[in-house]
Amino acid sequence: MSIDVPRAQAGRLSSRRLGLRLLWHQIRYEQLTFWRNPQSAFFTFVFPVVVMAIFGGLFGSIGKSEFYYGRSALQYYVSTIAAVSVLGSCYSQLAIVLATRRQNGMLKRVRATPLPASGYFAGLLAHCVLVSVVDVLLITAVGRLYGVPLPAAPQWPALAVSLVLGAAAFCALGVAVASLVRNAEAAPSVVQFVLFPLVFISGTYMPIHSALLNGIAGALPVKPFNDALLLAFTTDHTGLPWRDYGVLLLWGVAGAAVAVRRFRWDSR
Amino acid sequence: MADAVVVEGLHKRYGAVRAVRGVSFTIEHGEIFALLGRNGAGKTTTMEILEGFRRRDSGRVDVLGLDPGEKATERALRERIGLVLQDIAVEPYLTVRETIARDAGYYPAPRDIDEVIGLVGLAGLEKKKVRALSGGQKRRLDLALGLIGGPTLLFLDEPTTGFDPNARRDAWQLVRDLRDAGTTVLLTTHSMEEAEELADRVAVIADGRIVAEGTPGTLGGRDTARARIRFALPPGTTVADLPVPAAPGEGGLVTVESAEPTRTLHQLTGWALRRDTVLAGLRVDRPSLEDVYMRLTDHSHSTPERSAP
Repeated sequence: MSIDVPRAQAGRLSSRRLGLRLLWHQIRYEQLTFWRNPQSAFFTFVFPVVVMAIFGGLFGSIGKSEFYYGRSALQYYVSTIAAVSVLGSCYSQLAIVLATRRQNGMLKRVRATPLPASGYFAGLLAHCVLVSVVDVLLITAVGRLYGVPLPAAPQWPALAVSLVLGAAAFCALGVAVASLVRNAEAAPSVVQFVLFPLVFISGTYMPIHSALLNGIAGALPVKPFNDALLLAFTTDHTGLPWRDYGVLLLWGVAGAAVAVRRFRWDSR
Repeated sequence: MADAVVVEGLHKRYGAVRAVRGVSFTIEHGEIFALLGRNGAGKTTTMEILEGFRRRDSGRVDVLGLDPGEKATERALRERIGLVLQDIAVEPYLTVRETIARDAGYYPAPRDIDEVIGLVGLAGLEKKKVRALSGGQKRRLDLALGLIGGPTLLFLDEPTTGFDPNARRDAWQLVRDLRDAGTTVLLTTHSMEEAEELADRVAVIADGRIVAEGTPGTLGGRDTARARIRFALPPGTTVADLPVPAAPGEGGLVTVESAEPTRTLHQLTGWALRRDTVLAGLRVDRPSLEDVYMRLTDHSHSTPERSAP
Protein backbone atom coordinates (compact mmCIF):
# COMPACT_ATOMS: atom_id res chain seq x y z
CA MET A 1 0.00 0.00 0.00
CA SER A 2 1.63 3.23 -1.01
CA ILE A 3 1.25 6.21 1.23
CA ASP A 4 0.95 9.74 -0.01
CA VAL A 5 0.69 12.65 2.29
CA PRO A 6 -1.65 15.62 2.16
CA ARG A 7 0.75 18.48 1.73
CA ALA A 8 1.09 22.18 1.96
CA GLN A 9 -0.19 22.86 -1.54
CA ALA A 10 -3.43 21.98 0.16
CA GLY A 11 -3.44 25.63 1.22
CA ARG A 12 -5.22 26.27 -2.05
CA LEU A 13 -7.88 23.73 -1.22
CA SER A 14 -10.95 24.68 0.71
CA SER A 15 -10.83 23.82 4.40
CA ARG A 16 -13.66 21.39 3.83
CA ARG A 17 -11.72 19.40 1.27
CA LEU A 18 -8.72 19.57 3.55
CA GLY A 19 -10.85 18.16 6.35
CA LEU A 20 -12.01 15.29 4.13
CA ARG A 21 -8.44 14.56 3.10
CA LEU A 22 -7.34 14.47 6.70
CA LEU A 23 -10.26 12.19 7.55
CA TRP A 24 -9.32 9.83 4.73
CA HIS A 25 -5.68 9.95 5.86
CA GLN A 26 -6.76 8.96 9.39
CA ILE A 27 -9.07 6.17 8.20
CA ARG A 28 -6.30 4.68 6.06
CA TYR A 29 -3.87 4.53 8.95
CA GLU A 30 -6.50 3.19 11.34
CA GLN A 31 -7.24 0.48 8.78
CA LEU A 32 -3.54 -0.35 8.38
CA THR A 33 -3.11 -0.54 12.13
CA PHE A 34 -6.19 -2.71 12.50
CA TRP A 35 -5.51 -5.24 9.76
CA ARG A 36 -1.85 -5.63 10.63
CA ASN A 37 -2.68 -6.58 14.20
CA PRO A 38 -3.63 -10.28 14.06
CA GLN A 39 -5.51 -10.08 17.33
CA SER A 40 -7.89 -7.30 16.34
CA ALA A 41 -8.30 -8.61 12.81
CA PHE A 42 -9.19 -12.08 14.08
CA PHE A 43 -11.27 -11.51 17.20
CA THR A 44 -13.09 -8.45 15.99
CA PHE A 45 -13.54 -9.25 12.36
CA VAL A 46 -13.20 -12.95 11.60
CA PHE A 47 -14.75 -14.31 14.78
CA PRO A 48 -18.40 -13.30 14.09
CA VAL A 49 -18.12 -14.65 10.55
CA VAL A 50 -16.82 -17.97 11.88
CA VAL A 51 -19.64 -18.09 14.45
CA MET A 52 -22.15 -17.48 11.65
CA ALA A 53 -20.63 -20.26 9.57
CA ILE A 54 -20.83 -22.68 12.53
CA PHE A 55 -24.40 -21.66 13.39
CA GLY A 56 -25.28 -22.20 9.76
CA GLY A 57 -24.16 -25.79 10.08
CA LEU A 58 -25.79 -26.31 13.47
CA PHE A 59 -29.16 -24.64 12.96
CA GLY A 60 -29.52 -24.64 9.18
CA SER A 61 -32.29 -27.23 9.28
CA ILE A 62 -34.53 -25.40 11.78
CA GLY A 63 -37.32 -23.80 9.80
CA LYS A 64 -39.73 -21.05 10.78
CA SER A 65 -40.92 -21.47 14.37
CA GLU A 66 -42.54 -19.61 17.23
CA PHE A 67 -39.30 -19.97 19.18
CA TYR A 68 -37.58 -17.72 16.65
CA TYR A 69 -40.55 -15.32 16.47
CA GLY A 70 -41.84 -16.85 13.27
CA ARG A 71 -38.43 -16.76 11.52
CA SER A 72 -36.10 -19.57 10.65
CA ALA A 73 -33.22 -20.05 13.08
CA LEU A 74 -30.70 -18.71 10.56
CA GLN A 75 -32.80 -15.68 9.68
CA TYR A 76 -32.73 -14.90 13.37
CA TYR A 77 -29.01 -15.50 13.80
CA VAL A 78 -27.93 -13.53 10.74
CA SER A 79 -29.33 -10.41 12.37
CA THR A 80 -28.16 -11.10 15.93
CA ILE A 81 -24.65 -12.14 14.86
CA ALA A 82 -24.51 -9.08 12.61
CA ALA A 83 -25.44 -7.05 15.70
CA VAL A 84 -22.78 -8.71 17.83
CA SER A 85 -20.15 -8.01 15.16
CA VAL A 86 -21.04 -4.32 15.36
CA LEU A 87 -20.69 -4.50 19.16
CA GLY A 88 -17.27 -6.07 18.72
CA SER A 89 -15.88 -3.61 16.21
CA CYS A 90 -17.42 -0.52 17.78
CA TYR A 91 -17.88 -0.96 21.50
CA SER A 92 -15.25 -3.57 22.50
CA GLN A 93 -12.56 -2.69 20.01
CA LEU A 94 -12.81 1.04 20.61
CA ALA A 95 -12.77 0.74 24.41
CA ILE A 96 -9.73 -1.54 24.40
CA VAL A 97 -7.82 0.34 21.71
CA LEU A 98 -8.33 3.71 23.37
CA ALA A 99 -7.43 2.44 26.86
CA THR A 100 -4.27 0.83 25.47
CA ARG A 101 -3.25 3.83 23.42
CA ARG A 102 -3.77 6.11 26.38
CA GLN A 103 -1.74 3.91 28.68
CA ASN A 104 1.27 3.63 26.39
CA GLY A 105 1.24 7.33 25.56
CA MET A 106 0.05 7.16 21.95
CA LEU A 107 -2.92 9.42 22.65
CA LYS A 108 -0.65 12.00 24.20
CA ARG A 109 1.55 11.76 21.10
CA VAL A 110 -1.45 12.42 18.86
CA ARG A 111 -2.32 15.36 21.08
CA ALA A 112 1.17 16.72 20.44
CA THR A 113 0.46 17.06 16.71
CA PRO A 114 -1.80 19.63 15.04
CA LEU A 115 -4.40 16.92 14.31
CA PRO A 116 -7.57 18.19 16.03
CA ALA A 117 -9.29 15.86 18.50
CA SER A 118 -12.35 15.91 16.26
CA GLY A 119 -10.24 14.68 13.33
CA TYR A 120 -8.76 11.89 15.39
CA PHE A 121 -12.13 10.66 16.63
CA ALA A 122 -13.84 11.10 13.27
CA GLY A 123 -11.17 8.86 11.72
CA LEU A 124 -11.40 6.27 14.45
CA LEU A 125 -15.21 6.17 14.44
CA ALA A 126 -15.39 6.04 10.66
CA HIS A 127 -12.92 3.17 10.74
CA CYS A 128 -15.08 1.26 13.25
CA VAL A 129 -18.23 1.83 11.21
CA LEU A 130 -16.42 0.66 8.08
CA VAL A 131 -15.25 -2.53 9.77
CA SER A 132 -18.80 -3.11 11.05
CA VAL A 133 -20.35 -2.65 7.63
CA VAL A 134 -17.91 -5.08 5.99
CA ASP A 135 -18.51 -7.56 8.80
CA VAL A 136 -22.28 -7.30 8.43
CA LEU A 137 -21.98 -7.78 4.65
CA LEU A 138 -19.85 -10.89 5.17
CA ILE A 139 -22.25 -12.33 7.73
CA THR A 140 -25.16 -11.67 5.37
CA ALA A 141 -23.21 -13.40 2.60
CA VAL A 142 -22.55 -16.45 4.79
CA GLY A 143 -26.27 -16.52 5.65
CA ARG A 144 -27.08 -16.37 1.95
CA LEU A 145 -24.85 -19.41 1.36
CA TYR A 146 -27.02 -21.27 3.86
CA GLY A 147 -30.12 -20.11 2.04
CA VAL A 148 -31.17 -17.16 4.17
CA PRO A 149 -32.88 -14.63 1.89
CA LEU A 150 -31.34 -11.18 1.59
CA PRO A 151 -33.28 -8.33 3.20
CA ALA A 152 -36.11 -7.01 1.05
CA ALA A 153 -35.13 -3.97 -1.00
CA PRO A 154 -37.61 -1.58 0.70
CA GLN A 155 -35.99 -2.49 4.01
CA TRP A 156 -32.50 -1.37 3.05
CA PRO A 157 -32.93 2.20 4.29
CA ALA A 158 -34.15 0.82 7.64
CA LEU A 159 -31.16 -1.52 7.70
CA ALA A 160 -28.77 1.33 6.97
CA VAL A 161 -30.32 3.59 9.60
CA SER A 162 -30.26 0.80 12.19
CA LEU A 163 -26.63 -0.01 11.46
CA VAL A 164 -25.38 3.56 11.54
CA LEU A 165 -27.38 4.46 14.64
CA GLY A 166 -26.29 1.28 16.43
CA ALA A 167 -22.66 1.66 15.40
CA ALA A 168 -22.65 5.30 16.56
CA ALA A 169 -24.28 4.46 19.88
CA PHE A 170 -21.86 1.60 20.58
CA CYS A 171 -18.89 3.72 19.55
CA ALA A 172 -20.02 6.34 22.07
CA LEU A 173 -20.38 3.66 24.74
CA GLY A 174 -16.93 2.28 23.85
CA VAL A 175 -15.34 5.69 24.28
CA ALA A 176 -17.29 6.12 27.53
CA VAL A 177 -15.92 2.83 28.93
CA ALA A 178 -12.41 3.84 27.83
CA SER A 179 -12.91 7.09 29.71
CA LEU A 180 -13.95 5.34 32.91
CA VAL A 181 -11.35 2.55 32.85
CA ARG A 182 -7.97 3.94 33.78
CA ASN A 183 -5.94 0.80 33.42
CA ALA A 184 -5.40 -0.73 29.98
CA GLU A 185 -4.88 -4.23 31.40
CA ALA A 186 -8.32 -4.05 32.99
CA ALA A 187 -10.04 -2.81 29.83
CA PRO A 188 -10.70 -6.18 28.11
CA SER A 189 -12.16 -7.69 31.30
CA VAL A 190 -14.38 -4.71 31.99
CA VAL A 191 -15.56 -4.71 28.39
CA GLN A 192 -16.40 -8.42 28.52
CA PHE A 193 -17.88 -8.21 32.00
CA VAL A 194 -20.40 -5.67 30.73
CA LEU A 195 -21.01 -7.24 27.35
CA PHE A 196 -21.24 -10.94 28.09
CA PRO A 197 -24.38 -10.96 30.30
CA LEU A 198 -25.93 -8.24 28.20
CA VAL A 199 -25.56 -10.25 24.99
CA PHE A 200 -27.13 -13.29 26.66
CA ILE A 201 -30.18 -11.60 28.14
CA SER A 202 -30.69 -9.73 24.88
CA GLY A 203 -31.28 -12.95 22.97
CA THR A 204 -28.21 -12.79 20.76
CA TYR A 205 -27.42 -16.50 21.01
CA MET A 206 -30.85 -17.74 22.04
CA PRO A 207 -34.28 -16.06 21.83
CA ILE A 208 -35.62 -15.01 25.22
CA HIS A 209 -39.28 -15.61 25.99
CA SER A 210 -39.40 -14.18 29.50
CA ALA A 211 -41.41 -10.96 29.70
CA LEU A 212 -39.39 -9.80 32.70
CA LEU A 213 -36.00 -10.34 31.02
CA ASN A 214 -37.22 -8.80 27.80
CA GLY A 215 -38.48 -5.79 29.75
CA ILE A 216 -35.07 -5.30 31.35
CA ALA A 217 -33.08 -6.00 28.20
CA GLY A 218 -35.39 -3.73 26.21
CA ALA A 219 -34.22 -0.75 28.22
CA LEU A 220 -30.55 -1.66 27.71
CA PRO A 221 -28.85 -1.01 24.38
CA VAL A 222 -28.21 -4.49 22.92
CA LYS A 223 -31.75 -5.87 22.56
CA PRO A 224 -33.16 -2.79 20.79
CA PHE A 225 -30.30 -3.05 18.32
CA ASN A 226 -30.93 -6.80 17.81
CA ASP A 227 -34.64 -6.14 17.32
CA ALA A 228 -34.09 -3.26 14.91
CA LEU A 229 -31.77 -5.38 12.77
CA LEU A 230 -34.07 -8.41 12.97
CA LEU A 231 -36.95 -6.30 11.73
CA ALA A 232 -34.88 -4.77 8.94
CA PHE A 233 -33.49 -8.14 7.86
CA THR A 234 -36.64 -10.20 7.89
CA THR A 235 -39.77 -8.17 7.16
CA ASP A 236 -40.86 -6.41 4.04
CA HIS A 237 -42.97 -3.63 5.43
CA THR A 238 -41.25 -0.27 5.59
CA GLY A 239 -42.12 0.82 9.11
CA LEU A 240 -39.26 1.85 11.35
CA PRO A 241 -38.80 0.58 14.93
CA TRP A 242 -38.93 4.03 16.52
CA ARG A 243 -38.94 2.77 20.08
CA ASP A 244 -35.73 0.76 19.52
CA TYR A 245 -34.12 3.75 17.82
CA GLY A 246 -35.11 5.93 20.75
CA VAL A 247 -33.48 3.61 23.30
CA LEU A 248 -30.32 3.33 21.20
CA LEU A 249 -30.17 7.07 20.77
CA LEU A 250 -30.53 7.67 24.51
CA TRP A 251 -27.70 5.23 25.27
CA GLY A 252 -25.58 6.83 22.58
CA VAL A 253 -26.16 10.29 24.02
CA ALA A 254 -25.44 9.05 27.55
CA GLY A 255 -22.21 7.41 26.34
CA ALA A 256 -21.19 10.53 24.47
CA ALA A 257 -21.90 12.68 27.52
CA VAL A 258 -19.67 10.51 29.73
CA ALA A 259 -17.01 10.43 27.00
CA VAL A 260 -16.97 14.19 26.55
CA ARG A 261 -16.82 14.87 30.29
CA ARG A 262 -14.43 12.16 31.35
CA PHE A 263 -12.17 11.35 28.41
CA ARG A 264 -8.47 11.85 29.12
CA TRP A 265 -5.57 11.87 26.71
CA ASP A 266 -2.90 10.79 29.14
CA SER A 267 -2.87 8.20 31.86
CA ARG A 268 -1.69 10.37 34.72
CA MET B 1 12.94 39.49 17.24
CA ALA B 2 10.92 38.52 20.30
CA ASP B 3 12.12 35.63 22.44
CA ALA B 4 11.03 32.11 21.58
CA VAL B 5 9.81 31.35 25.08
CA VAL B 6 9.04 33.65 27.98
CA VAL B 7 8.00 32.26 31.35
CA GLU B 8 7.23 34.61 34.22
CA GLY B 9 6.17 33.69 37.73
CA LEU B 10 4.80 30.29 36.75
CA HIS B 11 2.93 28.42 39.49
CA LYS B 12 1.30 25.00 39.52
CA ARG B 13 0.10 22.91 42.41
CA TYR B 14 -1.40 19.45 42.61
CA GLY B 15 -3.52 19.43 45.75
CA ALA B 16 -1.12 20.16 48.56
CA VAL B 17 1.99 19.66 46.43
CA ARG B 18 3.38 22.89 45.02
CA ALA B 19 5.12 21.45 41.97
CA VAL B 20 6.17 24.73 40.39
CA ARG B 21 6.64 27.81 42.56
CA GLY B 22 7.39 30.95 40.63
CA VAL B 23 9.55 29.76 37.74
CA SER B 24 10.78 32.42 35.31
CA PHE B 25 13.11 32.11 32.34
CA THR B 26 13.53 33.23 28.78
CA ILE B 27 14.72 31.29 25.76
CA GLU B 28 16.09 33.14 22.77
CA HIS B 29 15.47 32.08 19.20
CA GLY B 30 18.06 29.63 17.97
CA GLU B 31 19.52 28.51 21.27
CA ILE B 32 19.56 25.21 23.10
CA PHE B 33 18.20 25.69 26.58
CA ALA B 34 18.40 22.88 29.13
CA LEU B 35 16.23 22.48 32.21
CA LEU B 36 18.27 20.46 34.63
CA GLY B 37 16.82 18.90 37.73
CA ARG B 38 16.14 15.67 39.53
CA ASN B 39 12.87 13.78 39.25
CA GLY B 40 10.06 15.65 40.94
CA ALA B 41 11.84 18.99 40.81
CA GLY B 42 9.16 20.42 38.56
CA LYS B 43 10.84 20.27 35.17
CA THR B 44 8.33 17.93 33.53
CA THR B 45 5.42 19.96 34.89
CA THR B 46 7.00 23.12 33.51
CA MET B 47 7.55 21.43 30.14
CA GLU B 48 3.99 20.13 30.03
CA ILE B 49 2.59 23.60 30.71
CA LEU B 50 4.70 25.02 27.87
CA GLU B 51 3.62 22.17 25.61
CA GLY B 52 -0.05 22.90 26.33
CA PHE B 53 -0.71 19.59 28.09
CA ARG B 54 -1.32 21.13 31.51
CA ARG B 55 -3.02 24.26 32.74
CA ARG B 56 -1.05 26.63 34.91
CA ASP B 57 -2.39 28.12 38.13
CA SER B 58 -0.79 31.51 37.56
CA GLY B 59 2.00 33.26 35.75
CA ARG B 60 2.65 34.31 32.17
CA VAL B 61 3.72 31.85 29.50
CA ASP B 62 4.49 32.85 25.95
CA VAL B 63 5.59 30.22 23.44
CA LEU B 64 6.39 31.57 19.94
CA GLY B 65 4.11 34.50 20.72
CA LEU B 66 1.20 32.23 21.67
CA ASP B 67 -0.30 31.20 24.99
CA PRO B 68 -0.15 27.39 25.20
CA GLY B 69 -3.17 27.42 27.54
CA GLU B 70 -5.31 29.07 24.88
CA LYS B 71 -7.62 26.63 23.04
CA ALA B 72 -8.21 28.93 20.07
CA THR B 73 -4.55 29.00 19.02
CA GLU B 74 -3.70 25.43 20.02
CA ARG B 75 -3.51 24.14 16.47
CA ALA B 76 -1.40 27.07 15.28
CA LEU B 77 1.04 26.37 18.11
CA ARG B 78 1.13 22.63 17.43
CA GLU B 79 1.99 23.30 13.80
CA ARG B 80 5.12 25.16 14.88
CA ILE B 81 6.44 23.03 17.73
CA GLY B 82 7.81 19.51 17.79
CA LEU B 83 7.70 17.23 20.82
CA VAL B 84 9.79 14.27 21.81
CA LEU B 85 8.20 12.80 24.91
CA GLN B 86 9.64 10.43 27.46
CA ASP B 87 7.49 7.43 26.64
CA ILE B 88 8.07 5.44 23.51
CA ALA B 89 4.61 5.54 22.02
CA VAL B 90 4.54 4.26 18.47
CA GLU B 91 2.10 1.89 16.82
CA PRO B 92 3.81 -1.52 16.75
CA TYR B 93 2.32 -2.80 13.51
CA LEU B 94 3.13 0.14 11.25
CA THR B 95 6.47 0.41 9.48
CA VAL B 96 8.99 3.14 10.22
CA ARG B 97 8.05 5.02 7.06
CA GLU B 98 4.31 4.67 7.60
CA THR B 99 4.61 5.95 11.16
CA ILE B 100 6.40 9.08 10.00
CA ALA B 101 4.18 9.55 6.93
CA ARG B 102 1.09 9.42 9.12
CA ASP B 103 2.30 12.28 11.30
CA ALA B 104 3.59 14.20 8.28
CA GLY B 105 -0.02 14.36 7.11
CA TYR B 106 -0.97 16.41 10.17
CA TYR B 107 1.31 19.36 9.36
CA PRO B 108 0.79 22.09 6.78
CA ALA B 109 4.41 22.00 5.56
CA PRO B 110 6.10 18.80 6.71
CA ARG B 111 9.76 18.02 6.08
CA ASP B 112 10.66 15.38 3.55
CA ILE B 113 10.01 11.96 5.07
CA ASP B 114 13.12 10.27 3.72
CA GLU B 115 15.29 13.19 4.73
CA VAL B 116 14.04 12.94 8.30
CA ILE B 117 14.57 9.17 8.29
CA GLY B 118 18.16 9.83 7.25
CA LEU B 119 18.62 12.58 9.85
CA VAL B 120 17.72 10.34 12.76
CA GLY B 121 19.79 7.45 11.39
CA LEU B 122 17.01 5.06 10.45
CA ALA B 123 17.88 4.85 6.74
CA GLY B 124 17.54 1.28 5.53
CA LEU B 125 14.91 0.48 8.15
CA GLU B 126 12.01 2.25 6.39
CA LYS B 127 10.06 -0.93 5.80
CA LYS B 128 10.74 -2.49 9.14
CA LYS B 129 7.79 -2.86 11.51
CA VAL B 130 8.08 -0.72 14.60
CA ARG B 131 7.71 -3.75 16.87
CA ALA B 132 10.92 -5.21 15.43
CA LEU B 133 12.98 -2.11 16.29
CA SER B 134 15.33 -1.94 19.26
CA GLY B 135 14.60 0.46 22.12
CA GLY B 136 17.13 2.98 20.85
CA GLN B 137 15.74 2.78 17.32
CA LYS B 138 12.23 3.42 18.62
CA ARG B 139 13.44 6.51 20.42
CA ARG B 140 15.04 7.69 17.20
CA LEU B 141 11.70 7.16 15.49
CA ASP B 142 10.14 9.26 18.24
CA LEU B 143 12.70 11.95 17.48
CA ALA B 144 11.76 11.74 13.80
CA LEU B 145 8.11 12.37 14.76
CA GLY B 146 9.20 15.46 16.67
CA LEU B 147 11.03 16.74 13.59
CA ILE B 148 8.67 15.85 10.76
CA GLY B 149 6.57 19.00 11.11
CA GLY B 150 9.65 21.21 10.63
CA PRO B 151 9.27 22.84 14.05
CA THR B 152 10.53 26.30 14.98
CA LEU B 153 10.76 25.13 18.57
CA LEU B 154 11.60 21.59 19.59
CA PHE B 155 10.86 20.15 23.04
CA LEU B 156 13.05 17.23 24.04
CA ASP B 157 12.14 15.47 27.26
CA GLU B 158 15.19 13.45 28.30
CA PRO B 159 15.92 12.74 24.67
CA THR B 160 18.82 10.31 24.84
CA THR B 161 17.69 8.02 27.65
CA GLY B 162 18.34 4.48 26.47
CA PHE B 163 20.77 5.46 23.69
CA ASP B 164 24.09 3.71 23.40
CA PRO B 165 27.10 6.06 23.53
CA ASN B 166 27.44 6.28 19.74
CA ALA B 167 23.77 6.93 19.14
CA ARG B 168 23.93 9.51 21.89
CA ARG B 169 26.78 11.39 20.19
CA ASP B 170 24.88 11.24 16.89
CA ALA B 171 21.72 12.57 18.53
CA TRP B 172 23.67 15.41 20.14
CA GLN B 173 25.19 16.32 16.79
CA LEU B 174 21.73 16.25 15.21
CA VAL B 175 20.39 18.62 17.88
CA ARG B 176 23.34 20.98 17.33
CA ASP B 177 22.76 20.86 13.57
CA LEU B 178 19.09 21.70 14.08
CA ARG B 179 20.07 24.60 16.28
CA ASP B 180 22.56 25.81 13.67
CA ALA B 181 19.76 25.67 11.09
CA GLY B 182 17.69 27.98 13.30
CA THR B 183 15.60 25.65 15.47
CA THR B 184 15.18 26.62 19.10
CA VAL B 185 15.49 23.65 21.47
CA LEU B 186 14.23 23.23 25.02
CA LEU B 187 15.43 20.05 26.61
CA THR B 188 15.13 18.49 30.01
CA THR B 189 17.79 16.19 31.27
CA HIS B 190 19.35 14.90 34.41
CA SER B 191 22.56 14.09 32.62
CA MET B 192 25.24 16.69 33.40
CA GLU B 193 27.21 15.49 30.44
CA GLU B 194 24.30 16.11 28.11
CA ALA B 195 23.69 19.60 29.46
CA GLU B 196 27.37 20.43 29.20
CA GLU B 197 27.69 19.03 25.67
CA LEU B 198 24.55 20.52 24.22
CA ALA B 199 23.15 23.48 26.05
CA ASP B 200 23.91 27.10 25.28
CA ARG B 201 22.23 27.94 28.56
CA VAL B 202 21.16 25.86 31.52
CA ALA B 203 18.62 26.48 34.27
CA VAL B 204 18.74 24.27 37.34
CA ILE B 205 15.34 23.64 38.82
CA ALA B 206 14.94 22.31 42.36
CA ASP B 207 11.86 22.15 44.51
CA GLY B 208 9.78 24.01 41.93
CA ARG B 209 12.14 26.96 41.59
CA ILE B 210 15.01 27.98 39.33
CA VAL B 211 18.02 27.93 41.65
CA ALA B 212 20.65 28.85 39.08
CA GLU B 213 20.81 29.89 35.46
CA GLY B 214 23.70 30.49 33.10
CA THR B 215 25.94 28.94 30.51
CA PRO B 216 27.24 25.50 31.43
CA GLY B 217 30.66 27.08 32.03
CA THR B 218 29.51 29.78 34.43
CA LEU B 219 26.61 28.09 36.18
CA GLY B 220 26.56 28.61 39.93
CA GLY B 221 29.76 30.69 39.81
CA ARG B 222 31.65 27.74 38.41
CA ASP B 223 34.04 29.93 36.42
CA THR B 224 35.03 32.08 39.39
CA ALA B 225 35.10 29.26 41.92
CA ARG B 226 38.39 28.49 43.65
CA ALA B 227 40.54 25.91 41.97
CA ARG B 228 41.14 22.66 43.79
CA ILE B 229 44.67 21.25 43.88
CA ARG B 230 45.01 17.70 45.11
CA PHE B 231 48.04 15.46 45.56
CA ALA B 232 49.49 12.84 47.90
CA LEU B 233 51.69 14.08 50.72
CA PRO B 234 55.33 13.09 50.05
CA PRO B 235 56.55 10.43 52.49
CA GLY B 236 57.85 11.81 55.76
CA THR B 237 56.05 15.12 55.50
CA THR B 238 52.97 16.44 57.21
CA VAL B 239 50.37 19.01 56.22
CA ALA B 240 52.14 21.52 58.46
CA ASP B 241 55.31 21.30 56.32
CA LEU B 242 53.53 22.59 53.19
CA PRO B 243 54.09 26.22 52.17
CA VAL B 244 50.33 26.85 51.81
CA PRO B 245 47.33 25.94 53.97
CA ALA B 246 45.95 22.51 53.05
CA ALA B 247 43.31 20.11 54.25
CA PRO B 248 43.64 16.33 54.38
CA GLY B 249 41.16 14.77 52.01
CA GLU B 250 39.94 11.38 50.98
CA GLY B 251 42.25 8.58 49.89
CA GLY B 252 45.35 10.03 51.59
CA LEU B 253 45.24 13.09 49.35
CA VAL B 254 45.48 16.62 50.60
CA THR B 255 43.42 19.41 49.07
CA VAL B 256 44.50 22.99 48.61
CA GLU B 257 41.91 25.53 47.53
CA SER B 258 43.19 28.56 45.77
CA ALA B 259 41.93 31.68 44.05
CA GLU B 260 45.36 31.99 42.38
CA PRO B 261 46.21 28.49 41.25
CA THR B 262 49.24 29.57 39.16
CA ARG B 263 51.00 31.09 42.17
CA THR B 264 49.95 28.34 44.56
CA LEU B 265 51.10 25.61 42.19
CA HIS B 266 54.44 27.34 41.78
CA GLN B 267 54.86 27.45 45.55
CA LEU B 268 53.94 23.80 45.92
CA THR B 269 56.04 22.42 43.07
CA GLY B 270 59.01 24.63 44.11
CA TRP B 271 58.71 23.25 47.62
CA ALA B 272 58.69 19.67 46.31
CA LEU B 273 61.67 20.20 43.98
CA ARG B 274 63.72 21.75 46.76
CA ARG B 275 63.06 18.65 48.83
CA ASP B 276 63.84 16.47 45.83
CA THR B 277 60.50 14.75 46.07
CA VAL B 278 57.33 14.56 43.99
CA LEU B 279 53.66 15.49 44.41
CA ALA B 280 52.20 12.13 43.43
CA GLY B 281 48.76 12.16 41.80
CA LEU B 282 48.80 15.93 41.31
CA ARG B 283 45.48 17.23 39.97
CA VAL B 284 44.09 20.69 39.44
CA ASP B 285 40.43 21.20 38.71
CA ARG B 286 37.43 23.41 39.15
CA PRO B 287 34.07 22.24 40.42
CA SER B 288 32.44 20.16 37.68
CA LEU B 289 28.95 20.93 36.52
CA GLU B 290 27.94 17.91 38.53
CA ASP B 291 29.51 19.36 41.71
CA VAL B 292 27.62 22.59 41.15
CA TYR B 293 24.42 20.74 40.42
CA MET B 294 24.73 18.56 43.50
CA ARG B 295 25.36 21.60 45.64
CA LEU B 296 22.41 23.48 44.15
CA THR B 297 19.95 20.64 44.41
CA ASP B 298 21.18 19.10 47.61
CA HIS B 299 19.00 21.01 50.03
CA SER B 300 15.80 20.62 48.13
CA HIS B 301 13.14 18.39 49.60
CA SER B 302 12.04 17.04 46.26
CA THR B 303 10.42 13.67 46.32
CA PRO B 304 11.02 11.41 43.38
CA GLU B 305 7.96 11.21 41.14
CA ARG B 306 8.12 8.28 38.79
CA SER B 307 11.41 6.56 38.42
CA ALA B 308 13.10 7.68 35.25
CA PRO B 309 13.26 5.07 32.51
